[in-house]
Amino acid sequence: MELDASYFDGHSGRAHPVRIRVVAGQLHIDGPGIALSVPAQSVDWPERTRHGMRVAHLASGGLVQSEDNVAWDAWAQAQGLGESLVVKMQQNWRWVAGSVAVLVALVVGLQQWGLPLVAQAVVAITPHSADVALGESTLNALDGIMAPTELPPADQQRIREAFSQAVAKQPPNSVPVWNLEFRHGQRIGANALALPGGTILLTDEMVKLVDGDSAVLTAVLAHELGHVQHRHGMRMAVQAGVLGSLGALVWGDFSSLLAAVPVLMGQAAYSRQAEHEADVHAVRFLKAAAMSPALMVTLFDKLEEQRHPDKPQKSGSNAASPDSSWLGIAFSSHPSDAARIAFFRAAAP
Amino acid sequence: MTQHDSLNAPHALDALDAQDTLVAAPPSTNLLRLRFTGSGSEYFRIWIVNLLLTIVTLTLYLPWARARKLRYFMGNTLVDDQPLGFHGKPLKMFKGYLLVCVLFGLYSVAGNFSAMAGFFALIVVTLLWPALFKSSMQFRLANTSWRGLRFSFRGSLAGAYRAMLPVFIPGLVLVGARVFGVDEINSPQRYLLLAGIVGLSALLVAPWLLWNIKQYQHNHYALGNLQTSFKASVGSFYVLTLKVVGVFLLVILLPATVVGVVGFGLSFALKDGGMGAMVLGLVLGWLLMVVAMVCIQPYAISRLQNLVWTQTGNVQLRFVSALRFKSLLWLTLKNTFLIVITLGLYWPFAMVALTRLRLEAVTVKTRIDPALLVADAQASNVDAVGDAAGDFFGLDVGL
Repeated sequence: MELDASYFDGHSGRAHPVRIRVVAGQLHIDGPGIALSVPAQSVDWPERTRHGMRVAHLASGGLVQSEDNVAWDAWAQAQGLGESLVVKMQQNWRWVAGSVAVLVALVVGLQQWGLPLVAQAVVAITPHSADVALGESTLNALDGIMAPTELPPADQQRIREAFSQAVAKQPPNSVPVWNLEFRHGQRIGANALALPGGTILLTDEMVKLVDGDSAVLTAVLAHELGHVQHRHGMRMAVQAGVLGSLGALVWGDFSSLLAAVPVLMGQAAYSRQAEHEADVHAVRFLKAAAMSPALMVTLFDKLEEQRHPDKPQKSGSNAASPDSSWLGIAFSSHPSDAARIAFFRAAAP
Repeated sequence: MTQHDSLNAPHALDALDAQDTLVAAPPSTNLLRLRFTGSGSEYFRIWIVNLLLTIVTLTLYLPWARARKLRYFMGNTLVDDQPLGFHGKPLKMFKGYLLVCVLFGLYSVAGNFSAMAGFFALIVVTLLWPALFKSSMQFRLANTSWRGLRFSFRGSLAGAYRAMLPVFIPGLVLVGARVFGVDEINSPQRYLLLAGIVGLSALLVAPWLLWNIKQYQHNHYALGNLQTSFKASVGSFYVLTLKVVGVFLLVILLPATVVGVVGFGLSFALKDGGMGAMVLGLVLGWLLMVVAMVCIQPYAISRLQNLVWTQTGNVQLRFVSALRFKSLLWLTLKNTFLIVITLGLYWPFAMVALTRLRLEAVTVKTRIDPALLVADAQASNVDAVGDAAGDFFGLDVGL
């Protein structure tokens, strides 16, 4: 079977009318003054598309092309030129619909289970020094918005000692390297932060909130130590990186704003998981130290008091994430307070 | 097979392109039209299948997906009814992709360790980037053909450094200052002052920086024995920048005044409505910013494309670009709206529509019959590293 086509020799821009056929694995190109034969395998054959011409590129630099796609496709099939699975998928709406479904399932599965596993594995092979470096740069950035502590050194010492005593009661080798620092939180308000590498920041406002009760503060620090133990900071960084590149892969060249949405939503979900892991750690820690997990409930009560100031307090109201936000759980970084209180109550004997 | 219109009828060109009509056109001038025959629904199918494969293979399939996309877009770009061809070999692009991934992985890690490491990494990138840029241009053009003839990029390495190095100076100064202890924590005032000076001077030379890169690119495109040259002056880039800034201010100031007056009136009308009026004002102000951003981008893109391509050519061949701002603005609005409400699934349709509009605004005037073009004697074998690098930075060649 022969097909009418145009031939360009790769040296001049002139088109030559030719007829082409494949015989015994050889592509024959014949026309006025042209008689070529090249191995069919060496030819870069066009893929089947609905639009666009069929152009076959020869290894020599020349090409054969035809505007008649229907004739070309029939010819190619008759010559026994196969096509790849990818082309079959691209040209079939059923395959395309299947791809959309698989893609959605994949993205959801990846976000839900795959990525946390990947992050865990990456963090496991990352040396601790990377945590320390990341923690230091985070601390530098935080110091821009926080002020030095105004807590008397005696109070600092008391809190540190109470926590050290609880740590001493833990099973051997179950406690990561830690380092407690105090800061005046300012806009951050009553809060405690665990940085990668083991630095835990406690704000003056938090100490004031619980009236310096070192038992409650030990419970708070036990929660933060859980973050350090699980290296949540590093895991978040890895997850944000992967989510970000995934978003950029799909929509990146359209809008970086749209590409950031999966990062925000994904991070919030991961953050809720991390908080829960840290809560579980806190319960185990407190029990090992012969303290009651219900100490954490005291903290939530204090935070609640502060948020609904029947007795007004000055240190700001954004201490914990708003759990009644209209954006709902999708963008919320902490599980709801009610769920956490119930968890700690249930853990208390 | 080819069809040549003679260039006798006067063309309705925009004021910016008016100069070009003065180019003397002898009766033998051919007008080569650009057409784009790709379809959104077909590209959607290609995109979704390739996206799936890319994710399943943990992005290793990316170069194959890219090659397929380029083949589709170029194969559907007809110049004088003859398609362009893309010849890039995915395996070759894959190696470049890996190398660039490693390189920029190291770069992004370096900054986390210390200011010194970050500065050093930036210097390395600064030194490598112009070479990658040149190799990117070479790869893309050498792997593009028309009528069986390969394009080529004839820019020199030294030229690439002259074109690209100035772009890095502001970044080098700022990151370098950190190494010597001038940063926002140790000496915030000096750092702010420095950042202000660097930012302002970068703004002032930005049109020149852009011109400098464009002249390097557009002076060195070649097909057969034809090489383009770039006639646009630095002045025209400054004029364009001023126009863009002017339109931006107009778009912002005009409605902002209206909002201000309305808000002021409202806050008087409703005695305790001060807070509500302020919120309303803020929301409207934010919306205005978004609208201004959406409008200004198509304006800048259309004017830049017209300026750059209409000033590209040589004695025998000249491009004319007449991309209308109104059409591009309408298309941008439509694309943005549909992409957002389809959660990104409209993206391939948008790409096809945008490519069609931008390509079909261009025509080529030439005095020579394309059939008489002869291939450049020097065969080039360029590597694909630069192509991946260009993609990494979102750099696009030509249109």
